Amino acid sequence: MSIGRREFVKSAVAAGAAGAAGLVVPSALAARAYAGGSDRLRVGVIGCGGRGTGAAVQALRADPGAVLVSMGDVFADRLSSSFAGITEELGGGGGDGAKQLDVPESRRFVGFDCYKGVIDSGVDVVLLTSYPQFRPVHLKAAVEAKKHVFAEKPLGVDAVGVRSVLASAALAKANTTALLVGFCWRYNQGMKATFERIHAGGAGGIGRVVTAHTTYHTSTLTKRPRQPEWSDMEFQLRNWWHFTWVSGDHIVEQAVHSIDRLAWAMNDRTPARCVCLGGRAARSGPESGNVYDHFAAVYEYADGSRAFHTTRQIDGTPSDNTDYVYGSDGSATINGWAPTYQLRDPDGKERWKFDGQVTDMYQNEHDELFKSIRAGTPINDGERGARSTLMAVMARMAAYTGQTVTWEQAMNSQEDLSPPSYELGPLPTPEIAVPGKTKLR
Amino acid sequence: MSMFFAFTLFLPLALSQGSAAPQPATTASAAPPATVSPDAKLEPFTVSVPVSGYKLNFAPIPPRPPLPGDAAKGIEPFWMCTTELPWDAFDVYVFKLDEPEENRGGVDAKTHPSKPYLPPDRGFGHANFAAISLTFKSAEGFCAWLSGKTGMTFRLATEDEWEHAARAGRPPTETYGFEGGAAMLGDFAWFKENANGQPHEIATRKPSAWGLYDMHGNVAEWVKGRDGKPVVKGGSYNDPAENLAASWRSPPQPAWNMSDPQVPKSRWWLSDAPFIGFRVVRENTRSER
Repeated sequence: MSIGRREFVKSAVAAGAAGAAGLVVPSALAARAYAGGSDRLRVGVIGCGGRGTGAAVQALRADPGAVLVSMGDVFADRLSSSFAGITEELGGGGGDGAKQLDVPESRRFVGFDCYKGVIDSGVDVVLLTSYPQFRPVHLKAAVEAKKHVFAEKPLGVDAVGVRSVLASAALAKANTTALLVGFCWRYNQGMKATFERIHAGGAGGIGRVVTAHTTYHTSTLTKRPRQPEWSDMEFQLRNWWHFTWVSGDHIVEQAVHSIDRLAWAMNDRTPARCVCLGGRAARSGPESGNVYDHFAAVYEYADGSRAFHTTRQIDGTPSDNTDYVYGSDGSATINGWAPTYQLRDPDGKERWKFDGQVTDMYQNEHDELFKSIRAGTPINDGERGARSTLMAVMARMAAYTGQTVTWEQAMNSQEDLSPPSYELGPLPTPEIAVPGKTKLR
Repeated sequence: MSMFFAFTLFLPLALSQGSAAPQPATTASAAPPATVSPDAKLEPFTVSVPVSGYKLNFAPIPPRPPLPGDAAKGIEPFWMCTTELPWDAFDVYVFKLDEPEENRGGVDAKTHPSKPYLPPDRGFGHANFAAISLTFKSAEGFCAWLSGKTGMTFRLATEDEWEHAARAGRPPTETYGFEGGAAMLGDFAWFKENANGQPHEIATRKPSAWGLYDMHGNVAEWVKGRDGKPVVKGGSYNDPAENLAASWRSPPQPAWNMSDPQVPKSRWWLSDAPFIGFRVVRENTRSER
């Protein structure tokens, strides 16, 4: 895939210089000039954690004409360590990769408003990899400025955010700008082949999909002890996984990958309602914030069929990230980390397994994004990403309140988890939700 | 700190001149120097892992003289854990289950792994399954941690030690540590032909004559290579018979950590190598002085 793309870019350059003798260049490319008519695609990254740093490297590797020109983060130390990481990953300051780095001090933006600086810095593509809480606002600004976007999952932490994202996705579509969501498994060759086979039906698959159970059972994530110089806000942001207002809780922030695959297994249908059991059994201490550590969600569809998702973050317990899809004529066992991509007969015997090559899905998604931008047919999977995000939010709402939550209730929810203000100051730790007492909003 | 961790030590007489009582973690150097000549017969012993109480059984590995034409010196006697290191033991180290919860949060970049980004056991199984997907650095970190807890010297085997142990007394020209060759492999090893694409509980195939389980197959094991660099030995559940040979080796591959989405990539975990684990050896007591 990447070879084809690189060849294409070379061809495009050659065509421009030599008059396109015998080379096929999509007319859309000619119609779209980037960065003053050169073949450069100027990239900005907003959110310079480990994932943002990784995404920046992948963007630069996806396209030899991509140049990182601006960076933004709430915290200066994160930005500088990220820049150092990208530089090292690209082979150091003197290597070929250095040609893809052009981030002077004037285009390094720090603070809550950093996203405005990055978006206004003359970029073509922005990578949105900041805290999930900020995603809808960052996305809205980027799409309104007609930037191509890579947006990491999840796309928000509450329904207010999801509605904003849906509007942005529609606007991006109208503007023909890219919006690729970091549900990376959708760009994994093994997953794609397996789900395609499942949904193709017939004898080679598992018949009609009846139900599915996806899992994300794992251990806890990093905790950063409070430093004396940190405000409440800084403390919570640096421990963002553990605060629902920043991450959406782990079912939204992490397990949403598996909920997206549950949606995939169920043909991306809209669930009618959700019941979810959850709680906080093995966490204490201020760094643990207010998130739960386990959820078990039951999604019910209009036709009465059901699908299931369970997730847990507790240390010292078995992990599992397997999807189990059950059909009218067999089942599928899918685990990208094992890796296992297997279809089975009703008696459990292996019917088919994927044995093709799987390349790094985090690279694949950027390869696809840049290829689609170059081709003038930008990918936009924003609406699907927003709906998978809402499925996760819906389960959290059901778990926190103990109530059954319909899709309409989730979609129209007025719950807004954003803080009173964005400043590095006092911010009490939000209460831990209590099912049966916490109100549905 | 380790006072409440029970030790079950069945040590040779030469070692029992001191006290067989639990040794404080921080006083390894104060332990009475034991004198064991290289050819002294070591005895099996058991270490109880803090908190979990998991028993790690160690078998004595006899010395081996230098091979003809071998520039390197021979192999001193040592102890080798009879099994690959299971999650039951590794969890205590990686999640700091031996420390109060308020101490578990800090990023202790030098001594303890970061929190795994991925579901660490991949759903293959946890209790009694080998700890997997970890780097050489993580494996060494566990050895240092266990040494600190016990006052004994645990480490990874050298490549020569590992091969010597894997052959279980058979000549260095032998492929496997049992009679009968590849035809018998299924009795002693989980590998491509019988493992169904996943690791199995440790010690569920036959042990070698020296009491060692899963030296061939199940998960490949980190050792210190002859060149001093990390290398894995023994092959895994994924591998064909030839990769289970005692002499087989693989240096680290970039593909083993291809999908780590973070930069910098983890130095503790391998996103794409669920087939790699390790086992622990204990040095001859002379070097514990």
